[in-house]
Amino acid sequence: MHELLELLVVEPVEAAQDAQVEVSGLRMQRERRVPGLDERGGEQTSGEREIELGVERGRRGDLREHEQHLAVGEHVDGDDRRAALDRADPVVRQRREREVALAPEPLEERGDARLVIDDLVHTGNRIATGAHGIDHSVLRPVVLVLVACGLATACGRDPGAHRVRPLPEPDASPALRGGGPPRSPRIASYRIDATLDPARHTITATQTLRWRNTGGSAVDVLPFHLYLNAFKNESTVFMESSGGVLRGAEATPGRWGWIQLDSVKIASFAEDATATEGTPSPPVGGELASTLRYPGPTGDETVVELPLPRPVPPGGAIELQMAFTAQLPEVFARSGYHGEFHMVAQWFPKIGVRVGPFGAEHWECRPYHAHTEFFADFGTYDVSLTVPSTFVVAATGVLVGATEAPGGTRTFTYRAEDVHDFVWVADPYMEVMSGRALVEDGAVEVRVLYRPEQEAFARRHLAAGIGAIQSFSAQLLPYPWAVMTIVDPPMEAAAGAGGMEYPTLVTTAGDSVFAREGLRLPEYVTVHEVGHNWFGGMLASNEVLEAWLDEGLNDWMDAKVMAELYGPRGNAVDWMGWQADLAALRNAVSTDPGALPSPIATAAFAFADFDAYADASYGKTARAIATLEQIVGPSKLAAAMKAYARTWAFRHPTGSDFFATLARELDQDLTWFSAAFHEVGGIELDVRSAACRPAHPPRGYFGQGSAAKLVTETEAPDTGTYVCEVVITNTGVVHVPVDIELVFEDRSTQRLHWDARGGDHWERFVVERSSPLVEVAIDPDDKLALANPVTHRYRLVPDGSAAMRAGSWFGNVAQMLMQVVGP
Amino acid sequence: MTEATYRGLGGLRALLRGGRRALWRYTGTLFAVFLAQSVLAVACMLGVAMVLTQTFSRLPMFDEAVDGDLVALIWVVRHEPGSFVAIAGVIFAAVIVWQVAAWFLAGGLYGVLAQRPEGRADTVRSFGESGAGTYFAYARLAVVSLLGYMVVLTVFGATLSAAWQRLEYALTLGDLFAALAIVAIPTGALALFFGTVTDYARVELTLRYESHRPSAFATYLRTVGYVLRHPLTVVHAGVGWLLVILVSLAYVYIAHDHPMYGAGGAITLFFVRQGMSLARMAIRVAIMAGQIELGRTRRLPPPRRLEPPQQPTEHAE
Repeated sequence: MHELLELLVVEPVEAAQDAQVEVSGLRMQRERRVPGLDERGGEQTSGEREIELGVERGRRGDLREHEQHLAVGEHVDGDDRRAALDRADPVVRQRREREVALAPEPLEERGDARLVIDDLVHTGNRIATGAHGIDHSVLRPVVLVLVACGLATACGRDPGAHRVRPLPEPDASPALRGGGPPRSPRIASYRIDATLDPARHTITATQTLRWRNTGGSAVDVLPFHLYLNAFKNESTVFMESSGGVLRGAEATPGRWGWIQLDSVKIASFAEDATATEGTPSPPVGGELASTLRYPGPTGDETVVELPLPRPVPPGGAIELQMAFTAQLPEVFARSGYHGEFHMVAQWFPKIGVRVGPFGAEHWECRPYHAHTEFFADFGTYDVSLTVPSTFVVAATGVLVGATEAPGGTRTFTYRAEDVHDFVWVADPYMEVMSGRALVEDGAVEVRVLYRPEQEAFARRHLAAGIGAIQSFSAQLLPYPWAVMTIVDPPMEAAAGAGGMEYPTLVTTAGDSVFAREGLRLPEYVTVHEVGHNWFGGMLASNEVLEAWLDEGLNDWMDAKVMAELYGPRGNAVDWMGWQADLAALRNAVSTDPGALPSPIATAAFAFADFDAYADASYGKTARAIATLEQIVGPSKLAAAMKAYARTWAFRHPTGSDFFATLARELDQDLTWFSAAFHEVGGIELDVRSAACRPAHPPRGYFGQGSAAKLVTETEAPDTGTYVCEVVITNTGVVHVPVDIELVFEDRSTQRLHWDARGGDHWERFVVERSSPLVEVAIDPDDKLALANPVTHRYRLVPDGSAAMRAGSWFGNVAQMLMQVVGP
Repeated sequence: MTEATYRGLGGLRALLRGGRRALWRYTGTLFAVFLAQSVLAVACMLGVAMVLTQTFSRLPMFDEAVDGDLVALIWVVRHEPGSFVAIAGVIFAAVIVWQVAAWFLAGGLYGVLAQRPEGRADTVRSFGESGAGTYFAYARLAVVSLLGYMVVLTVFGATLSAAWQRLEYALTLGDLFAALAIVAIPTGALALFFGTVTDYARVELTLRYESHRPSAFATYLRTVGYVLRHPLTVVHAGVGWLLVILVSLAYVYIAHDHPMYGAGGAITLFFVRQGMSLARMAIRVAIMAGQIELGRTRRLPPPRRLEPPQQPTEHAE
């Protein structure tokens, strides 16, 4: 205790006294000089006398202070803590008071600015003289920790040097698994020889296109998509409609993309396509490149037309030889490069599609818009790709040959059959992971291309890809090709290149430190893109005019596949106790169907913006199909979908074809359901009112004149039961049958049914029960995915217990925040 | 104690021991301040509960959301986003009220820790005098402190911008922590520094207000230099915040996936939460006590009054 008092009391006093000595601007001396004292009070004393007085006063002051210090010490020695403290604190105050009292009048008072300057000067002096007193013993380890952290954070990801890998073996399987006859009409078949210059990100290529006129009208012009010209400048339809941003990725200024047709010649011409099938021909006629015309809006060259010197008759065929140069943009919209990663998609001149009634066909070949994807005919592709030897290549179809080529390059040859697109990827760092998916008539080779740092995610993508192929094959029709390639783009290119589908090759996405096991975004993306090989790949609907037919149906099917692969409850989220099913989660986060400004069946380019296109084509469509599924029954709809897939595979189904197939398979008129696709709005169910009253026979006056009788409460007492009235409304545009469940106080329930397909907007239900109603539940089985379920369940008597629990949590949060800002 | 006492790890230990002693001595004062905070937190809780009852008491889906259904939670938030904005407003108001009250309460706490009164009456007098005496000085100091926190915000923005791409492309926890470190270390270090400056400026205002009447602005700037020269102050404060974080993590561990009893677990949870809050406040008060001890050893602030230049005269002893 004694030492404690010494430490706590005596030493601060001494420190205070020492500090006084150091006060800037003052010289505190034991033998104090008191200038101007001789002028005080007008006294005229001798200088020596004045000094003596001043000294004496100073000495007295010092003596008092000394005595006080002794007194403090005595109290400390006597363990009188209170007295010691009482003595200690005023010492400093007295010192200051004396200093002020001894100073002559008037006194200058320092303002805040001067105080600050003096202090800074003092600090500077201390630093300059080395007397700054910085405690290095504490500072040193702190600085070391900071430097170590800085070095750690400065380290980045180094992909390493290129290496030449062994030439891959050609795939043993033919392009179509098990071989066999063509699955599609093979209207447009391509033979392409291309060379990649990875330094300039350009492709030079020659292309031979064989196109057959399977329609009933002659064709005198051939339109081609030149998709890469969408990235040529800012005035293209794509750049204007996207603003240079697509799905979160931005176009890099100055890194434009384009494609130029250098040469177009007619190689052969046949009145009857079958006569020249498979027979190569020398060029016929001269150079036609100068006759090309661009019919699109000013500044847009994504569609080019080739007028023909003579028309291709119905049943005829034409073979064109073309040479072109393509400049890849920095990837932001599905095609392009990032660093040494090259995603080569929509890179060659692709002929349009003849659509319409037989004999009155027209070309479907529109400028590339930010909301639209692609539409092309089926055919075969024989493509040779020449790249540097250190590059790994993956492409549509199967590898049929790989050879070393001059100049440190290699040539990979691929063949794909019954597909409508050809894409390829080239990258020097990618590794390959393989697996097999078992389908009813064999196995599919599944490969994942990935950068080494993404290996953990590659495993997840491989498992999801295998599961998706097996599930889609079982539910719709078997995957017909030999290989499925899943490309996991490098992180820096994922926003631009990831999440896209092509026949037999898809790009995935979702890799992130936040996508822990159980947070299944990577798996969902892979399942979705693989699923497009059915919806869009084999069922090759027009993605430009009816995007919902592939996106929405695929989205609906994805939820079923995810539930099959990862369980019914936590297939989207199963982490740290949180669980969510993909379908339920999708419904919860998607835009309210009633808030979308366009119906589902709107051409992709005609939506107000990308969000409206995506919400309608993906989410609302999936919810509408899910609603229909619950109404007609899951097994019935599954059978109808399978029939649709097997009927329309390798063809171009339309929305009308889809509904006609469903109506036939379900054997019911689906007109009532069409509002979901052709009108703005959804299902807006609500409990307008719900109330109960005690039941009794009617009371009041009954009868006329003298025969009138008054029935009072005595004559008509309460029966002990309750009459409950519930009014349900549907203010949406889709009218569906709906179940209503009433819950009573005695925990009994009663189910009611409202078939609103006639277009009614409200219905009243009256029931009489022995206990009052406590809760109304619309759609208790959650069948109506197109509806907002928050208001579907309604309590007649409010219950605030959950609100109190939530309030307690928020109160705790508030208290934590208070403790950050205050003591 | 002198300044020399508080150097190195030994000094840190001395400060921590001092804090523990003060807690033991002034537990009543601690409880009183905690009670004031709890009352405000309960008021906030009731306000939030009223808002939620008004909106969701008839919708059973809200109960499911509160019980942990993620999808139900998304639905209810989307259904009435205005209610959650109102809740944020209630919490913000509570925090602001506490901030204003904290100027008095912190002044009182620092005063009690500095003057070391004995007995309840003395303690109450000391608390009230000090709290009232330094209230406006603390308020001015709070305004001045914004300068430091603006620096912190600026650094936060700059480091976040620098680390954004690394955060976006992080694949592993190592990548993530490295990217977060780019943001968190400079920002956290500066926030800790300026928070410590504010604390020691408060100490200075409490200790010297009667004798020197230092201005808040000058005190703040002087204290910046002081803290720079004495990294022990930052380390000491950092230890306190580290303990606060550990207590919070302990709460998360206890409250998550462990059985809670009484009224559906609400009673146990209430006591767990209040216990954790009390522990955090006790840590803060202990740190404040150490700051008072170290603050005593500071060089006094410059006096406001100057003597005019001295004329050299002869004198004899």
